[in-house]
Amino acid sequence: MLKSFKWFGLVLLVTGVVLLTLNAASLVAQQRPTIRIIAFAQGFAWPELFGTTGTERTELLKQLEDREGVNIEIEWGDEWAVRQKVLTDLIAHTGRYDIVLVGSDGGVQTYGAGGFLEPLDSYLEEHPSEYFDPNDVYPKFLDANRMPPGGPLYALPYYSFGAGIIYRKDIFDRYGLTPPKTTDELLKVLEKLKQGFERDGITDIYPITMRGAPGEEPTLDLAGFVYAYAGYPAWFEGGAITAEEIKKNKAKPIFTSEDFKKGFKAFVDILRKYGPPGASTHTWVDMMNIYAAGKAAILMPSAINGYAALGITENPDVKNNTRFAKIPVGPGGKQIQSFWTFSLGINKDSKHKLKAWRVLTYLVGKDSMQAFAERTQWPNVTMKSVLYSDVLLSKYGEEEIRLNEESILEADPYYFPYIPELTEFMDKIGTAASRAIAGEDVDTVLNELQTWALERMYKAGYYD
Amino acid sequence: MREQYKFLLPSLIVALVVVAFPTVFLFYISFHRWIIFIQGIEFTGFGNFYSMITSREFIKSLQVTLIFVVTSGLLTFVLGLALALILSERLRGQGIIRTIITLPVIVPPVVAGFTWKFLLNREVGVIGGYLLPALGFQKSLLGDPHLALGSVILADVWSRTPLMFLILLAGLQAIPTEIYEAARIDGASYWQSFRKITFPLLKSAIIIALILRFIDAFNLFDTIFVMTTGGPGIATQTLPLLGWKTGFLYYNLGEAAALAVIMLFITMIVSLLLVRRIRQ
Repeated sequence: MLKSFKWFGLVLLVTGVVLLTLNAASLVAQQRPTIRIIAFAQGFAWPELFGTTGTERTELLKQLEDREGVNIEIEWGDEWAVRQKVLTDLIAHTGRYDIVLVGSDGGVQTYGAGGFLEPLDSYLEEHPSEYFDPNDVYPKFLDANRMPPGGPLYALPYYSFGAGIIYRKDIFDRYGLTPPKTTDELLKVLEKLKQGFERDGITDIYPITMRGAPGEEPTLDLAGFVYAYAGYPAWFEGGAITAEEIKKNKAKPIFTSEDFKKGFKAFVDILRKYGPPGASTHTWVDMMNIYAAGKAAILMPSAINGYAALGITENPDVKNNTRFAKIPVGPGGKQIQSFWTFSLGINKDSKHKLKAWRVLTYLVGKDSMQAFAERTQWPNVTMKSVLYSDVLLSKYGEEEIRLNEESILEADPYYFPYIPELTEFMDKIGTAASRAIAGEDVDTVLNELQTWALERMYKAGYYD
Repeated sequence: MREQYKFLLPSLIVALVVVAFPTVFLFYISFHRWIIFIQGIEFTGFGNFYSMITSREFIKSLQVTLIFVVTSGLLTFVLGLALALILSERLRGQGIIRTIITLPVIVPPVVAGFTWKFLLNREVGVIGGYLLPALGFQKSLLGDPHLALGSVILADVWSRTPLMFLILLAGLQAIPTEIYEAARIDGASYWQSFRKITFPLLKSAIIIALILRFIDAFNLFDTIFVMTTGGPGIATQTLPLLGWKTGFLYYNLGEAAALAVIMLFITMIVSLLLVRRIRQ
């Protein structure tokens, strides 16, 4: 009987110790601040932390949490849903999300100007993180997250891209073509492809795919054409790109000027003549799918979508014959641009800014970037050390990696104005382009765009 | 009486919190200038309303919405009524046929939108990329501004006809068969029976169906967003899409709220007019 009691007592003791330990651990976990992140690309972004479903708690995540003394939660959604959630959280000042996804094509500009994001320069100086070496990041990717240009840094970039041409070498070889270096050469290449396809009775491959859906999507690329043709961001008089410059110089919009029109018309004409019939509704997803299906010889200027297509294609011709070339230079002496960063910022209303900073630097740091490169094998990374890592060099060779690097180094992230109203302008310009691609007269859409823009800027008090 | 109110109280509280507060806040915002990157919220009276209704985009979106609602509403009504009339008769396999016809209504509008987008896609779609080109039709249904609205209407009609069918079928089955028997004895033809018996007795069901259809079509967002994002250009941009853009892309919450209030009043007026018809 005594022996039984002893064993019983021992079992109770062990159980008690285990329960106490678990309880202590959960208490510690509960007392740790929670850092909430909101982002899109579930299962694609940081699967090493959140798994391929985006909802797992991997060992790496637990180690990060223990190291930083935080609990980390992430909320996912599609891009539009995330944007709306970020907006409502920021304007309501609830501080629900500590780290928010913002893009460098409007989010940084609007939320930075509105004072919703925590400026990060002081964190870089006073709280350097071993996860993130800013000197390893290509400066243009950081510059894209400053508002105004040269001003405070509001976000750090995760995967990011510059401009380039993704093309089918086999098709180019068939018609004796080489990657174009100028926009004039690009037009000649496209015409030769079109004639070649017609001659050979090929009706299901198009010379080029670009995005022309209404809204802000095409503007990221179309603005690059405007920049290349005009030689400067020809949206406002004198090429003003900040709110201050526009106000000081009372710079009016110039959407009906020859400078803007040249690039706008070039983009529209290329899609009308050489793109797929439904291009006026095509988003980056359509571009990617069309190229992946082997239905386009060229994808540009947002080459990242070509690399994404490579990742999903089952077409061996696409897989084996896709190459990258530097983006052509326009008559204005500048390269066509397409530049974007998947950026994360810290909510000004976050109650744990320093902890959020630590987590943020891990999310965009070397380990995360390297994991991204190894998993996707896309060269659209922010850090030199990762771009020249073995995984990418062995996949693409030094030449293509060097070309990718050049496209970043020669990029100009300020090829469109950095104003708080940017998202609205990008939507209107992109929608005007979509209308023109669909067949409306270019002068008509540009006149309407100009009228709208002028009213909008007056209403915003720029010319008082 | 007091006991009845006590039972009503929990629902009323929930309704107040979930419905009344957002509605009041919506009205409040609609009278204020609230652009998120500009500090401060300022009272502007009817400024947002004026700005919205005088904008070219609003007028165009209103036109698109009217065309969409009227065309889609009429088509779903006619098809729904036709199906209800056919399937109210005793037919072999009636149950299975009714089930198949009802299936589209259980497909979420977003899924319906994606499905039709891929079907009509000019490059890879079964209909848009293969069937129509084989018949000599080379245009892109979603890329042509004159055809895109029709394509979106097609998707909506496919999705919503079953609901009309169900409502009208229920209305038809509530009509006593004796009336038809009497009419047949008196020598009435099918068309006469339809005009003098079916249609008048079905009026309430028709009006209810039309009210529901109107509200549904007027507020439709997801299918159109997924299929065309309002494009090409603004060829398929309806008022809900414009409201979404104004709030979430242009960050102009005041004008977006004003548009929502305008839409609310339009919905109320149309519904009231139709309800009046029932009472008459």
